[in-house]
Amino acid sequence: MAEPIIRAEGLSKTFLSKERKKGEKKRKKEVHALKSVDLEVLDGEVFGLLGPNGAGKTTLIKILTTLLLPTGGSAWVNGYSITKEEDEVRASIGCMLMGDRGLYWKLTGRENLDYFGALYHVPRPDRAKQIEHLIALLKLDDFIDRTVETYSSGQRMIVAFAKSLVNDAPILFLDEPTVTMDVPTARELRRIVKDLNDHGKTILYTTHLMHEAEELCDRVAIIDHGEIIALGTPRELKDSLGHEDVVSLEGIFPDATVSRLRAVPGVLEVAVSAEDDGRSKLDVMVENSRAMLPRIIEAVTGQGSTVEEIRPKEITLEDVFVAKTGRTLAVDTRVVGEKAVRGRGG
Amino acid sequence: MAGETVSRGFGLGRPGPRASAGVVWSVFRARLKIITRYKGAVFLESIIPVIFAGLPILLGAAVAGGEQNAANNFFAYTGTTGRTAADFRLYMLMGSNTFMVVTLMLWLIGYWVRREQETGTLEALYLTPAKRFHVLAGVTSYTFIRALIAFLVATVLGALLFNVNPLEGNFLAAVAYLVLGIPALWGISFFFGALVMRIKEANSVIQLLQWVLAFAMGVYFPVTVFPFLLRVVAMGFPPTLMNDAIRSTLLGIASIYGPWYVVLGLMLIAAWLVPLLGYEFFGWTERRVKRDQGVGQF
Ligand SMILES: Nc1ncnc2c1ncn2[C@@H]1O[C@H](COP(=O)(O)OP(=O)(O)OP(=O)(O)O)[C@@H](O)[C@H]1O
Ligand SMILES: [Mg+2]
Repeated sequence: MAEPIIRAEGLSKTFLSKERKKGEKKRKKEVHALKSVDLEVLDGEVFGLLGPNGAGKTTLIKILTTLLLPTGGSAWVNGYSITKEEDEVRASIGCMLMGDRGLYWKLTGRENLDYFGALYHVPRPDRAKQIEHLIALLKLDDFIDRTVETYSSGQRMIVAFAKSLVNDAPILFLDEPTVTMDVPTARELRRIVKDLNDHGKTILYTTHLMHEAEELCDRVAIIDHGEIIALGTPRELKDSLGHEDVVSLEGIFPDATVSRLRAVPGVLEVAVSAEDDGRSKLDVMVENSRAMLPRIIEAVTGQGSTVEEIRPKEITLEDVFVAKTGRTLAVDTRVVGEKAVRGRGG
Repeated sequence: MAGETVSRGFGLGRPGPRASAGVVWSVFRARLKIITRYKGAVFLESIIPVIFAGLPILLGAAVAGGEQNAANNFFAYTGTTGRTAADFRLYMLMGSNTFMVVTLMLWLIGYWVRREQETGTLEALYLTPAKRFHVLAGVTSYTFIRALIAFLVATVLGALLFNVNPLEGNFLAAVAYLVLGIPALWGISFFFGALVMRIKEANSVIQLLQWVLAFAMGVYFPVTVFPFLLRVVAMGFPPTLMNDAIRSTLLGIASIYGPWYVVLGLMLIAAWLVPLLGYEFFGWTERRVKRDQGVGQF
């Protein structure tokens, strides 16, 4: 674990797309999906790309896997330039980028694997052996000889994963591979990923699930609005918050209560995620949760608020994201505070 | 377990001849497997040209008052005499069959690109180190077989239904012209494939072009009936050449292009020039698409 096996320097990507607004003329709109990204992934690590929807994760992966050309910058995968030695790059990687897509529905799982094996130039005997191996490893024998059109989406997903392993490449790109899997299947997939890594494969894994990144990744880059805003081991990232603690509250909190809480000296940040039925969750970042607890309780009691639960929380990568952006990663996010307004600006 | 030792992969960036042949063969076989899983597709599409030929045959008989009259008028207008009603039918049948081959090519390659986009397999293809040339070679070999089978089935069906005997004429030479005409059709369909990759509304474009094609290649008539400018354009169009070569050979009538060696020469030129241009255009489009949206967008 020393050499960078993936290296990106100043990668940027700008999409031009037509914007259609009601009552207005169509016009071209620029989307800056990546803004000068520098990145090094070391040989043998599981590297996590973590970020909310639209952060630029897929765009970055598509560029590194030669599907898209960058607008600016350059990158090397396995020592090969992604723009000048595309075929060598492709031969060095296995990819699962589009969830359960990318399979032929009228072919069986096995025929799909064999087909893609041939397209990766895997010699026939090796191909047959590797497919048998994958069938055993991923427990595919129940459905591998049926046509893909008969699969459940989870089954398609796992065959798509098998496809990424058919050329047994040293580097694996996985773009939210667990996104439609049930919990046990996702856990099993993570276990296999870990196992493949133990046997020497380098893995670049994108997810918007913090716990997944924490569980799996040696190092994590947090990406937001096309920029890497934090990078390091999960431990380092959490330690970077210093001696900050998080107190988590659940209940009903009017905006006035939240403002009052923010005004309490020693409170650094309050992130609000709205839940259904008017309840919400507050993550209060403070310097010392034990000392601050009485003052937090005082600030949130009365005046129409109801506290249902209050507990000091272990710092997670989610909190790192909150600290850097003022937003949470959850989908229903209501943002409070000046920092957050700036975060939204991009 | 694959990784008992640290694995560095099986894949090759630069394949040898064996691996390359493996790509062509795998693509070819996969396409063939897929079509055989759509029951009856090949047979059904072979019925279409028979219906297509039926239209002008019946219309001709109705307008001219009898089929022999139709044949006399038709061939006289197009510059030959002493032709039978069977020749008239064969003329229409061959035109329709050739048209079917042309549209088959357009759909099989042009529409292939869109299908692969929809299923996400186009991106999957672009993730492999397989060369575009080898993948397209696999696809075109498949379309070649498909077209040949469809043409023969349609000819047999049509011969039985319309009571004509294509073997009376120079049938083998006609099939040879069909085979020789197919590479140019590949070239055109590469243009189509490239357009499909870029244009979102590809289906309607192909639909439209298919009928423009039918018109321009003279399905039911020699293009000499066109006004001058249109005729020049139509004659410069490879399917017209192929259609004319097949029909004139089979029926033993004069080609609109001139003596047989001119026809053969033109066919030979088209057979390598058009695919070459189409292939270059495909590659060029592909690079452009990768520069902006990516090949998976449609
Ligand atoms: N083909 C395209 N044309 C225009 N804009 C695009 C295109 N592809 C992506 N974008 C934009 O680029 C930005 C980054 O998208 P990207 O798919 O990389 O996000 P992501 O991090 O993978 O998000 P998610 O978690 O939702 O998958 C988004 O704003 C997206 O709308
Ligand atoms: Mg994505």
